[in-house]
Amino acid sequence: MHVAVFRWKAAVPLLAFGALGAAAWLLFAERIARRAIETVGTAVIGAKVEIRALALSLGHGSVAVRGLTVASPFRPLVNLLQADELVADLDLLPLLEKKVVIDRLAAKGLKFATPRATDGRTRRQAGGLMDQVEHWGAQLRIPALQLAHGTIGVGRLDPAQLYTPRAASALRARADSELLAWGAALRQLDVAATADSAKRMIERLRGARLVDLTLLGDARRTLDQVKTTRARLDALHQSVAAGIATLQAGVAELDDARRRDYTFARGLLKVPSLEAPDIGAALFGGAAIERFQRALYWAQLTRRYMPPGLLPRAAPGPKRVRRAGTTVRFPRERAYPAFLLRSGEFSFQLARAGGEPGVYAARLSGLTSDPALYGHPTTAEASAPGVRAAALIDHVRTTPRDTAGASLAGVGLPALTLPALPIRLEPGPGTVTLGFAYYGDSLRASWGVKSDQVRWVRDTTTGSELAELAWRVVSGVSRLEVAASLAGTLERPRLAVSSNLDRALSERIRAVAGEEIAAAERRLRVQVDSLVEKEAAAARAQVAAVAGDIPQQLGVQQAQLEQAQRALEQRLKELTRLPGVRLP
Amino acid sequence: MIFLKLLQSLVETLHSEGTPGQVAAGIALGSVLGLTPLLNLHNALAFALIVVLNVSFGGAMLGWALFVPVGFLLDPAFDWIGHKLLLESPALTPLWTTFYNTPVIALTNFNNTVVLGSLACWLVLGIPLFLVSRWGVARYRATVAERVKRWRLYQLITASKLYDVYRLFRPER
Repeated sequence: MHVAVFRWKAAVPLLAFGALGAAAWLLFAERIARRAIETVGTAVIGAKVEIRALALSLGHGSVAVRGLTVASPFRPLVNLLQADELVADLDLLPLLEKKVVIDRLAAKGLKFATPRATDGRTRRQAGGLMDQVEHWGAQLRIPALQLAHGTIGVGRLDPAQLYTPRAASALRARADSELLAWGAALRQLDVAATADSAKRMIERLRGARLVDLTLLGDARRTLDQVKTTRARLDALHQSVAAGIATLQAGVAELDDARRRDYTFARGLLKVPSLEAPDIGAALFGGAAIERFQRALYWAQLTRRYMPPGLLPRAAPGPKRVRRAGTTVRFPRERAYPAFLLRSGEFSFQLARAGGEPGVYAARLSGLTSDPALYGHPTTAEASAPGVRAAALIDHVRTTPRDTAGASLAGVGLPALTLPALPIRLEPGPGTVTLGFAYYGDSLRASWGVKSDQVRWVRDTTTGSELAELAWRVVSGVSRLEVAASLAGTLERPRLAVSSNLDRALSERIRAVAGEEIAAAERRLRVQVDSLVEKEAAAARAQVAAVAGDIPQQLGVQQAQLEQAQRALEQRLKELTRLPGVRLP
Repeated sequence: MIFLKLLQSLVETLHSEGTPGQVAAGIALGSVLGLTPLLNLHNALAFALIVVLNVSFGGAMLGWALFVPVGFLLDPAFDWIGHKLLLESPALTPLWTTFYNTPVIALTNFNNTVVLGSLACWLVLGIPLFLVSRWGVARYRATVAERVKRWRLYQLITASKLYDVYRLFRPER
């Protein structure tokens, strides 16, 4: 029976179905594109990206986005930016390769740090980028003096973190082990048996004559055995003496360990040393770290989404009912990157001190997901009266180099809350600078604030003596200069912060807080003693017992052998006193 | 309504619609819709083939319905296979690189581990599935079908007017 291969009568319904699909796509393309941009943007930024309207004109190769809002990934009710309109000229051919190449992007009405009604941050992934950056920042944190309450904060003293119990436990184990080893060595020598053998030989020699050559030979062998045992006993004695000296050194080390525990416990006091630079770090370190963390977050984000090289790149697949899987990109030389923005022009607004917001312009070029393919670094710059900002993201070569710098003069600076003080600083109009250089693993950054019209606002009228003191010091200051710098590597960053308030505050706080800090230290030492003394005392007692018992046993046995040797030699001398007679 | 139509199609497919080979080909082609994530370009092609080729449409729907749960169940295995193929087979990297940078092919999502893993499994299992289905349909028709035709439920289903809608996609003998 012949069966036709094609079902021609279904061709028309199929074409109709295809046309229906195409019409549906045209109808929903803008919605799909809007959702796609929102989803991808949200995943990349780590905060909600929302678009009010999107107009797609594939015929003209352009996309217009209206009402773009990008929430801040750092602050809950603040937008990172808002844009009235963005118009992108698309290169159409790369779309067939599922790649987006934008020749030119023009953005109008950009505004930064605008308020929003809801928290725009996405759910944070454990161990994600934000976690990593926060963990990085935590190692730079400066403990703050608890000025607000007039008390010195003490962290939790965990016995497991103290050195002395561990050292004492190890010392006890070592003493036990030595005791067992020496006991075994003594038993192996069997001194009592040797001494008894010597005594029995002396008894046998009492009735002996010079001609009893066999007996005399036995006596000489017994004497040799006694001498050998004595020599071994002496060697053991020396070894024991050395071992006991080591154990006693261990006891001395317990004191060192306790001193280290005191130092460790002191570190739990939330007290910076009252040197002027540390005061600066305690007051403004938090604000500086926050800025550096944000800069690092963006730098790490560019490294994640704009990696150097041409190796295949895996990323989580799209969310769907089925498993998302992993989507892999395979960049190739002389091919389009997955994303490229050739050039962008932005006009944005910034608040100016005491007037209408200023309108500024910025340029961006070469923003791409595959810098090695594009072959040029990404650059961004903004320049206007009082504003200079530039960034260079160079991931073209193996070692990424990210630099950014900005200086804003005459702009309204945001308020700063001083940690542990009921005082808020409103810098007013001033100059803020930020520099950031991240080469490979090496970091250098700086942050500075200058203002001549500082206002200090007290959050509460009551406070401790220390808070009162701090208020008296700072409230008379109208000029502020803060400079923070960061250096080192990502794993080992070093932070230095200074301000013009440091010296004045340092001297006054030192005078008032010194006694309180000393008292807190004394309390901590008592706490450390109570936690470590039991273990340390047990270790000391055990070492003392070992140092007393073993040498005493050795002394007794050495005396026994010495006495037996002397008696045996005396008896042999008496027997062999005749002149001209030599023992065989 | 849709469920009834599917049921009618299934009943008709198993009893008289097309040869066992046409039904089996429909099942094999339909199974790709169920095994692989649905919204992908290769599934549009598979659907077009189901419609245009003289295979059993009901068989394809049956294959789709049967293999949707199988697809969900096997997703971890597909992910693993796709991972092996895309990331752990250096010999294939030039091929994937070419595909990734070729217009239209790049739109198929072949570079997703689940899509590629499931598609690869279907390519391997498609022909065995066709052979097993053909044998199964032939056996069914020779042994059970006549008894089923006497069931009241069968008569109720086939009596529905909606059955006529499927006439359009019946295989031509």
